[in-house]
Amino acid sequence: MDRMACVDAPALPLQLLLRSHPGWAEQPVAVVDRDLPQGVLQWVNERARARRILPGMRYAAALGLAHDLHAGVVAAPVVEAAVAELVDRLQDFSPAVEASAREPGVFWLDASGLEHLYASLEAWAAALEDALGAAGFRARAVVGFTRFGCYAAARGGARRLVFADAAQERAHLRAVAIDRVGFEPALRDALRKLGITELGAFADLPPAGVKRHFGAATHELQRWVRGEQGAALDPRPARQAVEERRLYDVPEPDRTALLGVLEGFLQTILERLCACRQALAALRIDWVLDDGTAGETRLEPAAPSLDAGQVHALVRLCFESLVFTAGALELGMQAQGVAASTRQLELFRAQPRRELAAANRALAQVRARLGEGAVRGAALQEGHLPEACFAWRPFGRLEAAAAREVALRPLVRRLYAPPRALPGMGGLGPVEEVVGPHVVAGGWWSQEVVRAYHFVRTRDGRWSWIYHDRVRGRWFLHGEVE
Amino acid sequence: MSAPPLHVPLWCKSHYSFLEGASSPGELVETAQQLGLPALALTDRDGVYGVVRAHMRAKELGLPLRIGAELTVADGSRIVLLVADRRGYAHLCRLITAGRRRSPKGESRVEWAEVCAHAPGLLALWGGENSRLAEAGGVESVAAPLREAFGDRLYALLARHRRPGDAFRERRLRARAAHYGLPLVAATEVLYHAPPRRRLQDVLTCIRHGVTLATAGRRIRANAEHGLRAPQDFARLYADVPQALARTLEVAARCPFSLTELRYRYPSERLPDGTTSAQRLQQLTLDGARARYPAGVPAAVRRQLEKELGLVRELEYDGYFLTMWEIVRFCREQGILCQGRGSAANSAVCYCLGITAIDPVRMGLLFERFLSKERAEPPDIDLDIEHDRREEVIQHVYAKYGRSHAAMVANFIRYRARSAVRDVGKVLGMPATELDRLARLVSPYGPPVPEESSAAGFDPGLRLHQDLLQLVAEIEDVPRHLSIHPGGFLLGHEPVHDLVPIENAAMAGRTVIQWDKHDVEDLGLFKVDLLGLGALNLVHRCFDLIVEHGGPPWSLAAIPPRDEPTFRMIRAADTVGVFQIESRAQIAMLPRLRPRDYYDLVIEISLVRPGPITGGMVHPYLRRRTGEEAVTYPHPSLEPILKKTLGIPLFQEQVMQLAVVAADYTPGEADQLRRDMAAWRKQGRIERHRERLISRMQRKGIAPEFAERVFEQIRGFGEYGFPESHAASFALIAYATAWLKCHHPAAFLCALLNAQPMGFYSPAALVGDARRHQVEVRCIDVRYSAWECRLEPAAGGGEGFAVRMGLRFVKGLAVDDAERIAAAREKEGFASVQDCADRAALGEGALARLAESGAFESLHAHRREALWTALGVVREEGSRLPLEHREPAARFAALSDFETIHWDYEFTGHSPRGHPLEPLRRELTRMGLPDATAVAAMEDGSMVDYAGIVLCRQRPSTANGTTFMTLEDETGYVNLVVWERVWNEFHVVAKTTNFLGASGRLQVQAGVVHLVAESLWAPALGRRPHSARSRDFR
Repeated sequence: MDRMACVDAPALPLQLLLRSHPGWAEQPVAVVDRDLPQGVLQWVNERARARRILPGMRYAAALGLAHDLHAGVVAAPVVEAAVAELVDRLQDFSPAVEASAREPGVFWLDASGLEHLYASLEAWAAALEDALGAAGFRARAVVGFTRFGCYAAARGGARRLVFADAAQERAHLRAVAIDRVGFEPALRDALRKLGITELGAFADLPPAGVKRHFGAATHELQRWVRGEQGAALDPRPARQAVEERRLYDVPEPDRTALLGVLEGFLQTILERLCACRQALAALRIDWVLDDGTAGETRLEPAAPSLDAGQVHALVRLCFESLVFTAGALELGMQAQGVAASTRQLELFRAQPRRELAAANRALAQVRARLGEGAVRGAALQEGHLPEACFAWRPFGRLEAAAAREVALRPLVRRLYAPPRALPGMGGLGPVEEVVGPHVVAGGWWSQEVVRAYHFVRTRDGRWSWIYHDRVRGRWFLHGEVE
Repeated sequence: MSAPPLHVPLWCKSHYSFLEGASSPGELVETAQQLGLPALALTDRDGVYGVVRAHMRAKELGLPLRIGAELTVADGSRIVLLVADRRGYAHLCRLITAGRRRSPKGESRVEWAEVCAHAPGLLALWGGENSRLAEAGGVESVAAPLREAFGDRLYALLARHRRPGDAFRERRLRARAAHYGLPLVAATEVLYHAPPRRRLQDVLTCIRHGVTLATAGRRIRANAEHGLRAPQDFARLYADVPQALARTLEVAARCPFSLTELRYRYPSERLPDGTTSAQRLQQLTLDGARARYPAGVPAAVRRQLEKELGLVRELEYDGYFLTMWEIVRFCREQGILCQGRGSAANSAVCYCLGITAIDPVRMGLLFERFLSKERAEPPDIDLDIEHDRREEVIQHVYAKYGRSHAAMVANFIRYRARSAVRDVGKVLGMPATELDRLARLVSPYGPPVPEESSAAGFDPGLRLHQDLLQLVAEIEDVPRHLSIHPGGFLLGHEPVHDLVPIENAAMAGRTVIQWDKHDVEDLGLFKVDLLGLGALNLVHRCFDLIVEHGGPPWSLAAIPPRDEPTFRMIRAADTVGVFQIESRAQIAMLPRLRPRDYYDLVIEISLVRPGPITGGMVHPYLRRRTGEEAVTYPHPSLEPILKKTLGIPLFQEQVMQLAVVAADYTPGEADQLRRDMAAWRKQGRIERHRERLISRMQRKGIAPEFAERVFEQIRGFGEYGFPESHAASFALIAYATAWLKCHHPAAFLCALLNAQPMGFYSPAALVGDARRHQVEVRCIDVRYSAWECRLEPAAGGGEGFAVRMGLRFVKGLAVDDAERIAAAREKEGFASVQDCADRAALGEGALARLAESGAFESLHAHRREALWTALGVVREEGSRLPLEHREPAARFAALSDFETIHWDYEFTGHSPRGHPLEPLRRELTRMGLPDATAVAAMEDGSMVDYAGIVLCRQRPSTANGTTFMTLEDETGYVNLVVWERVWNEFHVVAKTTNFLGASGRLQVQAGVVHLVAESLWAPALGRRPHSARSRDFR
């Protein structure tokens, strides 16, 4: 008979919060849904429970019970990343792993036949729990026969458990408290009012009555509990080992040969990504040389791509910039893939006249040659200091330009970054005309700035933009009027 | 070196330009005076909120004040208007009123045409940021009409703030000013009195825009150039345009208007028969006196009436008294209970007019407390109106006088420490959860102290935390927005909007002026206070119930005044639900004071107040009352004042009289003392009386210790001591509610439940108390219950009544549902849950709530089965035939007694079936825990373990950290005293457990029983009883 397992990492967001704040381990801690006094506590640790702080309370109310309560929001992407990490680790124990879409921290695994790889299913479950424990996650595993049966047992707080047969699983399920499984709160409360607190009693309610009184969804849920409904696993695709590597018995000094090997790797990788409907998002090339040195580099196409020509060009450019001090003993290439997006491809076609795609390819080549931080763009922002009126931000993709009206055209200035120190107002030479001062003062909440700006015209007719920094008591040249 | 040319700052915004200006009007005025400026113009944004305060301070300092406002125009631009004369002031107020009334609360928009139409009497300064004269775009459509309307009173405002774009804007403004022939006048936009306040201005701006400082960008000002400038600074800034600088003086000289020019007349009643107001008032007073004293008006009363009427006539306050009489008459005609309170109770005229219910002559109340020629300030009559119907009276006032002649007085919502921590911290970018932690620890008054911030985990060495604490201290008392006074009206013979702008309040149908009660008082304007009082609502409902059920019609005046059973009940502290004497502290005092008559109630109400408690007056008074201590007077001259309170001052009036007699205070000084007593917490102004009072008393031969004690008592009175007149008014209602409870307990409970929310106790506690008094309380039942509670004939067909709980107590049930149930039931009784659902058209939610609350129990005995049925009920519109549903029966466990009461509390907040501890009593007894009756019978000093439901937790500021708790079980109450040390040790369980155990020693004194807790614990029972919400720290 097929075996199924459920792994529960209880209160996963709380585990994540404590992992990111190890110093809080001895304090009452809670996860809140938002960083506001009205935020609702979602999970609390035992120390908080000891102070009578319970999930569902408002943060403000909980503070009344424990002034030393620590709370934080665990953002959905953080939880998703942790779930992904857990799936990765669980895939070491089973080829088919499904993460619960509703309850982060709950996973189902196909455990069929694994007793042959481990001494027993108990040993398999123990190894799995140990592995997650080593990664910093607290989890328990239950091996059973049905998806709901082993889920209920795991959520019911059972320590590592392997059911011998389906009847045992069914009997165990009946005694599990409804509070422990993920019923919707409204349904859970309604059942509690009716005196139904265990799954067995819920299973015993007349199905037609359940459908009429609670609706089709609850009826469906009851069928799951009664074992009349089941579903196959919907596992995440197993990890593709999208990696190529070659070891040389004799060091290979020929760069052309090495490039040829890399291109071969690339071809294979692209084919494998393509087979699982993924596009190449990033590449990592690593090497070990005969003189004992090792290195790696990373490159990314402008957008996830399966375009062999474009990626080959990037690899060539990247490889040409590398300096090998000895022959290669080992050469590897690893790929990171993402689901291919047709929309991204559409973007290239949308603006053919501007040839944005070509420009983006060029920028990608610049990144490949000079590194990720080489391409940056200026973005306007609201600020009083000249340098706060714009910011250099990592440049993503080149988009179509959109001009906008400007009410007051500023004088065209060439800014010095950082401003150049001057020995005094006359540091630029004899000054013939001064306009100002214009005072910019602020930032008192972080780094106080008080600058008195002047436009000065020197004898050569040049207008310069200088300021007196009143905090530092010095003059600076900040720009030129052109 | 010659003195720099002077200037007048013409564009100043105080913190009454909400969340923009950062200094108070007082700070601006004081700084202007210190800088040697010849005058200052206050021009708040779209309002004159701060002019009275500025006016009062400027008057004190002798600084000429100019009045104006910066108005927001419909196109988003702004213009500054200054008042030249009284007509101009009226125009400004009307203009602001028009802009405010048409806009959402907090905003204002006037049209350019309106600005032009109101130009007479005003000067306009056009320029600066957000002005069309300086900004890009066409200006002709505005400039020409403005020029025509204002003529030579239109100026181009030349603002310099040393910002990079200023020069460009100034070029454009000067070109346009030259084109339209507008003279230039220099001004900076003053947003604070001194540059250090710039930080607060940044913070306020961020709060207004809902951003942090880090993300504010250009929403905050570029620099700190918005303070008041010294003459030399200003002259330097405008050195190239001396004529613009000189013109500030010219403008100021053209605006001599002062608030002292305001002439206010109270509305005169229409007197069609040709009599004067004074004659009419005299006639009504004498008619009232004859009604009050049917056996003949006593000579003392007659003399008092003549004295009062003479003074009223002399001060021309007749209209005010007639208005109050008219409002009271309206209430009587509409059957609305009302009663005057406060100092008005000192007036025999008010008593005869029916405004108040206390005979001040008989009680020897001090008329001068109400009205005095020396004080020359308008009388203050507060009228309590039954809470549910106060809005009718308010709308009557609006209807009678019109929206232009009547508006409610404002109340400024100001920053206090907690709101300041939250708002300022948010602007500084601190996590809201951290801020909340600090906000909960800080005292509501004054900025956070280092211990509080440290306890909240704030590091005093961290710059961010230093900034927070400093800004919190600065922002305290800064007004955040305008709210509405609970019941204060300003009425005027002339339109009120010529006196002060009127704007919309948040509440629909209400309009509010831009001044608060202090402003109104400072200008000597008349205010009418119409206050809601739940107890009058209770009394009225109770009277109605008695009549509806065959009893005689009662009124407040008709209740027998010396009813011994009522006083017996009061002496036994059996006063749950009785107005003013039901609180834990009052109940603890009653057996000690043992009231025997009405005046004892006046004293009881006055005694349990922070003033007498902190002044150390309570115990001496009680000792003298029981004869344990001789009644003595520190000086023979004080005997007449203190005789009625056994030589101990208990009332505010006595304190004032003490100051007059013992310290030779003039009436004016005494009144100042009264005002300072009311304001001591904020300004510590009472301290300035210390030396004067003590030294003068000593000079009269009063012992220094007594003088010192009197001063402490005076200071204590600042903490809400009651005037005797006020206590006397409340004592009347307290007695009336006690009499009703004593003689009509069922009607009293029914009325009290229907008047909820009010009072000290939850409905559960009220029901429990009534049950202990053998009042039958019947459960909510769809076959009998209406929305409100009702009286039903008692079981056995006697004369008594039972209370049927109303559907209003079913949590989540709407009044519409209840009305449909009543209507359907009237046609034909319900046969089943399905029948009720069909005919009353109830949804699944309403049905479930009724099933959970037990309202279907007479139709379906099993509450869970009723709920199962309710959840699955299918209603067919228009069908009288219930649909058949064939399905196997579901079996549910029946509710136990414990669960039944638990459900009652959970779904209705009370249980007529029993107390939550009743089903647990056997277990509690097994654990050796006695009930409240047994505890009350124990001896002083006994060690007791007790467990009960927490009704309230209180920590009065007068108790030095001691917490008082009242616990309840099915037999009564037990009062706990928890010393600070014990509280600190057990605070988690003390705060979080509503079913609480306490161990300690019993203290029995004069029949008052307290359990002095030594430990607190959660009783180790498997089941936790449900309870109503406790009343904590209120």
